[in-house]
Amino acid sequence: MKTKTTKTILSAAAAAALAFTATAQAAEKLNIYCWSEYIPQDVIDDFSKETGIKVSVENYASNEEMLAKLGAGGGSFDIIQPSEYVVEALVKEKLLRPLDKKAIPNLKNIDPKFLNMSFDPGNKYSVPFMAGTVGIAINTELVKDDIKSFSDVFKPANKGKIVVLDDAREIVSWALLSKGIPVNDVSDKNLEKAKGVLADWIPLIKVYDSDSPKTALLNGDVAIGVVWGGEGAILLNENKKFRWVIPAEGTHLFIDSLAIPKTAKNFANAEKFMNYILQPEVSKKISEAFPYLNPNMEAVKLLTEEQRNNSASFPSAKDLAKMEIFNDIGERGSVIEEIVTSLKVE
Amino acid sequence: MALPSAVSNTGGSDMHRRKPGLLAWLILLPLVAWLLLFVVAPTIMLIVVSFAERDALGRIVYEFNLQNYARAFDWVWLKVMLLSIWYALLTTILCMALGFPVAYFIGRAPERWRTTLLLLVMVPFWTSFLIRTYAWITILSKDGLLNALLIGSGILTEPLALLYTPFAIVLGLVYNFLPFMILPIYTSVEKLDNALIEAAYDLGAGPVRAFSQVIIPLTRPGIAAGAMLVFIPSIAMFAITTLMGGGSNPTVGEVIFKQFTSGRNQPFGAALGTILLVIFLLALWLTNRQREERN
Repeated sequence: MKTKTTKTILSAAAAAALAFTATAQAAEKLNIYCWSEYIPQDVIDDFSKETGIKVSVENYASNEEMLAKLGAGGGSFDIIQPSEYVVEALVKEKLLRPLDKKAIPNLKNIDPKFLNMSFDPGNKYSVPFMAGTVGIAINTELVKDDIKSFSDVFKPANKGKIVVLDDAREIVSWALLSKGIPVNDVSDKNLEKAKGVLADWIPLIKVYDSDSPKTALLNGDVAIGVVWGGEGAILLNENKKFRWVIPAEGTHLFIDSLAIPKTAKNFANAEKFMNYILQPEVSKKISEAFPYLNPNMEAVKLLTEEQRNNSASFPSAKDLAKMEIFNDIGERGSVIEEIVTSLKVE
Repeated sequence: MALPSAVSNTGGSDMHRRKPGLLAWLILLPLVAWLLLFVVAPTIMLIVVSFAERDALGRIVYEFNLQNYARAFDWVWLKVMLLSIWYALLTTILCMALGFPVAYFIGRAPERWRTTLLLLVMVPFWTSFLIRTYAWITILSKDGLLNALLIGSGILTEPLALLYTPFAIVLGLVYNFLPFMILPIYTSVEKLDNALIEAAYDLGAGPVRAFSQVIIPLTRPGIAAGAMLVFIPSIAMFAITTLMGGGSNPTVGEVIFKQFTSGRNQPFGAALGTILLVIFLLALWLTNRQREERN
């Protein structure tokens, strides 16, 4: 979902130190392999304290980094945190272990609209962790136009004022949506159409950043951002001059889940951890640290009015209906990468 | 920093070459093991993977083919490569222009000052590279320190767009690689015999001629070593170009990084890496040949 290169490099040392201390005792263990900046450290510490299970955490910066490590047979991880299209690929490749639902009664706290999705029917292999959207953040002091859609963002008047996610699949999906094409229809013909749109859009973009796109917006280097909802939520909290818009064409709804790799040794502990963080009070803490769209409806009830009304965290039902999740597109990812790179160097 | 002195010494010591004994090999063993494990083995892996394929999950499938190389010579990737070489070249030239006077000054300074001065060159580099790069972002951004200073002092009325431009990329590269130019040139300057410069003046050479015909040729090994140490890492550097360049001018380092991650195409990334390796070897071979011709 996100590429968080720098934060991962920074946290690598910390993770290494943690992994080292965690092996000191032969007690119950749990090896978590998750996104950087996604599970608060105090949640993990509390889990350790409560259960006596030693937890070691390793971070990754992109789904593909995790896939590469898992595919190469490296690491013995008990729990991973893949996005929707990666769950789909991992299920297809039979790399996940079916969950023992009896060990995860708190699954009942998840809003049914995030369950039984196409990437994992019946949630046999995955439990939703956080969801989120991609939307448009606007600095209203610098941009007076009424921006409602991707087409409004990528207009010549906004040249040099735009930050977008550094993610080729995302960028191409916006172009597809602007042509009324579903985000998963990545046939050659459709990609050719998207390329035509992007030939006009890409020269307008100033910054590509998936790591912390809010920085360029806060520093005033750009005025409009097509960014993750979590980043948008922070911008809205930071300053009233920012506005958040869900594009009229629709957008990507991502669902990051927790799952257990087939090779996991401490799978029972992994299920304990899943059940632990599905508790409303715990899930609320995660929401407070990382304000994404929390699929845990009991946790959402515990949030303040203001947190719940943050439109970047929690889109309206009407907006939500326009969103699509990504399917696994396998090797097509490389073609999409090439389209975006080729237009950047034009 | 073993490389610069090694490069600058090999020129003259050919006549004393003899075969190393058993003890010498024993002493060298850790280094040889290190090189085998962390240089030779990864390089072989890189080359092998570059001829492989990958499956839908991005896992490597070992079936020999040349398609990664065929694709690498597509105009898109050649342009990326040329752009990276251009930034690296510009960085090397600027580092030379800035680094030479500094290295010369330190090398000619009274001996008791030299260590302190060298330390001053290196002190900023004790801070994490990422923190220094983020510091530049704070300085160069539109609401940043530099613009605030320029507007506050009345020099400008509108903030300059400095960050996320090719200018920022080259600035970041020059700033980070400058010491790699200064240190090898310093070792050459330090060995410079003052008598030769005085002789040049005695024989009627002006400062320009003494500089171009005596000082430059005598410090050339240091300059060449510095150029290699700056040029090679700046081609493939991707953190600075991504953070300070904003990613809109992709360099080959960024492209390789993406092939290994979101592109799910390690073999293609490996092919690009292998091509870079060939370019580096070519550059090294050229500088070596130049030096041999001169000797």
